[in-house]
Amino acid sequence: MGEFFRRIYFFLNQRKLDRELAQDMAVHREMLGDDRKDFGNPTLLAEQSHEALGWGWLERLVQDLRYGFRILVKNPGFTLIAMLALGLGIGANTALFSVVYGVLIKPLPYTQGNQLVVLKQTAAAPMKGMQHNGMASMNNVAFSALDITDYRKQTRAFSLLEEYHSMGFILLDGQEPTRVTTGVVSAHFFDMLGIKPLYGRLFNDGDETKESDAVLVLSYPYWKNHYGGDPSIIGRHFRMNDRVHTVIGVLPPVPQYPRENDVYMTTVACPFRSSPMMAEHRDHRMVELFGRLKPGETVESGTSDLGVIVSRLEKTYPESYPPQGLNVSMESLRTRLTEDVRPMLLILLATAGLVLLIACANVANLALARMMRREQELAVRAALGASRGRLVRQLLTESTLLSVGGGLLGLILASQCLALLVTFVSRFTTRAAEVNISLPVLLFTLTLSLLTGLIFGAAPAFSQRTNLVNSLKEGNNSATIKTDGNRIRNLLAVGQVAISFILLIGAGLMIRSFVKLQQLDAGYNGDHILAANIPLNFSKYKNNQDNLLFFDSLKQKLQATPGVLGVAFDSGAPLAPGSPMNQDFQVEGQPNTDRDGMQQTSFEVASSNAFRLLGIPVLSGRNFTDQDKDQAPPVAIVNRTFARHYFPNEDPLNKRITPDKGKTMLTIVGVVGDVKQFGLDKDPVDTVYLSMAQFSMAYTVLIKTAGDPLNYASQLRKAVFSIDKDQPITDVKTLDELRGDSLAATRITSILLALFAALALIIAATGLSGVTALLVSQRTREIGIRLALGAQRGEVLAMVVKQSMRVILIGLGVGIVVALLVSRVMSKLLFDTPPTDPATFAGVALVLLCVALVASYVPARRVTRVNPLIALRAE
Amino acid sequence: MAKNEMLPGTLGMLVLRVLQPGALHGYAIAQRIHTLSNDLLQVEEGSLYPALQRMLIKGWVRAEWGISETNRKVRFYKLTAAGRKQLQSEMTDFGRVLQGIHAVLNKA
Repeated sequence: MGEFFRRIYFFLNQRKLDRELAQDMAVHREMLGDDRKDFGNPTLLAEQSHEALGWGWLERLVQDLRYGFRILVKNPGFTLIAMLALGLGIGANTALFSVVYGVLIKPLPYTQGNQLVVLKQTAAAPMKGMQHNGMASMNNVAFSALDITDYRKQTRAFSLLEEYHSMGFILLDGQEPTRVTTGVVSAHFFDMLGIKPLYGRLFNDGDETKESDAVLVLSYPYWKNHYGGDPSIIGRHFRMNDRVHTVIGVLPPVPQYPRENDVYMTTVACPFRSSPMMAEHRDHRMVELFGRLKPGETVESGTSDLGVIVSRLEKTYPESYPPQGLNVSMESLRTRLTEDVRPMLLILLATAGLVLLIACANVANLALARMMRREQELAVRAALGASRGRLVRQLLTESTLLSVGGGLLGLILASQCLALLVTFVSRFTTRAAEVNISLPVLLFTLTLSLLTGLIFGAAPAFSQRTNLVNSLKEGNNSATIKTDGNRIRNLLAVGQVAISFILLIGAGLMIRSFVKLQQLDAGYNGDHILAANIPLNFSKYKNNQDNLLFFDSLKQKLQATPGVLGVAFDSGAPLAPGSPMNQDFQVEGQPNTDRDGMQQTSFEVASSNAFRLLGIPVLSGRNFTDQDKDQAPPVAIVNRTFARHYFPNEDPLNKRITPDKGKTMLTIVGVVGDVKQFGLDKDPVDTVYLSMAQFSMAYTVLIKTAGDPLNYASQLRKAVFSIDKDQPITDVKTLDELRGDSLAATRITSILLALFAALALIIAATGLSGVTALLVSQRTREIGIRLALGAQRGEVLAMVVKQSMRVILIGLGVGIVVALLVSRVMSKLLFDTPPTDPATFAGVALVLLCVALVASYVPARRVTRVNPLIALRAE
Repeated sequence: MAKNEMLPGTLGMLVLRVLQPGALHGYAIAQRIHTLSNDLLQVEEGSLYPALQRMLIKGWVRAEWGISETNRKVRFYKLTAAGRKQLQSEMTDFGRVLQGIHAVLNKA
């Protein structure tokens, strides 16, 4: 039997053993006879012997816990407030940490996810141009099929290079026609990620030859939602793009990268990707490229490897590369997936941390106040032989008990609101799907709870008086000012004011950005307009004529509907999610070589009445007319940014541009106002509008209505189905909704920050109230004397308020200095608002001052009710 | 050294040593040490019982019920094999330390 088991045996039988020990000692005392008094204090002896068993720490802990629990239950008010404050703080931190952990910390759920990279090709920025356009992505260039073939052949750093692009196709499975987001990938895309199929198989080389049958892999959510998770789906045939597609596999429920798709097909099944255009033209760049680095290779070595290949290709095929060449760079997939959300998440986590800190300070203050009332109890315990360490331990046990309770509450809160947070974050990254309350999160919460307990427990535990005698002598109504405790309390109050100020500044800046974005003139009037996408099935509608026929009859049907004021078509509604379709172009008479790089612009298609319907002004020249038909000379309307940019000193009217090296010459017939098509916070991009009558690819219908536009959604559906029952309609939304959606991220961030700030303000205000109230009660006697000697109540009130004002002003000062130093971290989230925006600082300071004044004035008013006689007798 | 003080750390060894010939109860242990030391050493009861508890846990001694000279039921402490080994090693260690001390005291 080892010592360990003996210890446990002793522990379990301690009562019996204690009895036996007592017996031994009794006999010993008897035998000592006359010398009995030499034996010492039998109780103490018994205890010391008992200690020797080595279980003292556990017994003391159990004792402390039991006692602490009793104390907490006896003070339900304090316990409840403290647990609530801590629970909110810890809950917010737990929820945010689980998001940060799932999105930013956890490794990608793929085999050796760190070896996965996203490749990027950029054209050297033209001399004029890019800076003006303000979008970093402007000069991003996709990859062509021929590029990729050469890269694969020549690379030494990559074990796999796989292409990807995403398109919407119409899938017919015998039921309702559905538009599916389709990932078009090369054969080893899933091998590269290291994904194994849930059912069936994934793609292999045999699926990517010209003779291959079209095959599909379904994503887990699509399979679950549309086919009820039926495993017999393998082998089913669907029609897409006028071909039979066979389902060969289902993906496991892993988060999909780079974005969510409903189904996946290989490159040969995609009608665009497999077109001769794509397969044979090196400058037809349309796909994204991902790679798996060989073991030991890094982003740097991979970049130089591809750089060598690209410069070799540039020499071989000079006509397919811009004069300045292309730059290949890469970024780890992990960074790429989270870079948009990282600053916001970290700021939110920091905010939550500060809220918890305020909660800690506040609970510490409460606990300090309670300590004053408990001083006698503690003094008695100390007098009876409890060591200082023992008392500290007791107090820390109590605070830890409290904070662990708060932590539990926080965990419940966090699990309740996590779903909301995940929905929010999924706007920015597909990694949101990986967020859950996992073991590391639980450990984080536990650590945080224990730490919290120690932090707020430390103040009261170590501020204990050492002078027992005084504590014992003092009456319960001690009126002596306890300067020591007060200093800590004032310090805590200063901290609370300072932190609330910082949080309020964060929220204030965010809200200001949001308001600015909301009031921004986006260049169009979206009032009472319904937008919907009608992605015509190009295998059915083969040319301009077919498209125009469909849209014309749709327009007629809709216009016949009462309440419809106008119908127009467009290639994309303003502020609908998406990015510009950039394309190379040249201006006639302006040689491209002058510009040292690729010259790209966004191309849009609009019907002749689209500008009028959207309230976009024609600044010069003319609108599209019915005469701009198929056979008529092709025309273009450019936006103001384009005109200023490419024709700074001349009239753009009647100049000609070409998107295809001279095959099509577009004559500029008009200039229209700029529209913030791709985001309120983004500058307008260079845009060329083509006439719908000539280039019919305007798949977005815009309906101006008399009443609520959403009421017309069913009419739209009826109209479309009456023309073609197989035609899906997607993204039915009003323009106001689209504008609202584009601000959702800013709005939710504002709301979250404001929520945290409000929470902090409330906690800090109660803290200030508490400090002032205590101050008043401590000085009751002094105030009584003052009043008795003839002081005016107003003067006394002013004196008390002045004292709390000092705390507030110091806190405010500290807050302003710190906020000025750290608000810079917010700049990525802000729009048109400097992080040190004076108006925000002034406004927030004013709000905080008012709240703080009220918070200290209310308890201070109690001094006016002090009755000098009673106050003096109170001692 | 005052008569009732003991070199720290030596109590355990002395207890083990006096238990070597046979089991004793607490009082007898104290008495035996007192007598054997020519009344020089006085075992503090305050240290004896905690020490015995520790030795029980370590497994160096075992407690058995017996009857005292005064006809009371009392625990007799008995050396175990582990206790014997412990005593041996403590005595060796102590002897070495003592030698060292002697050497210093005589030469310095």
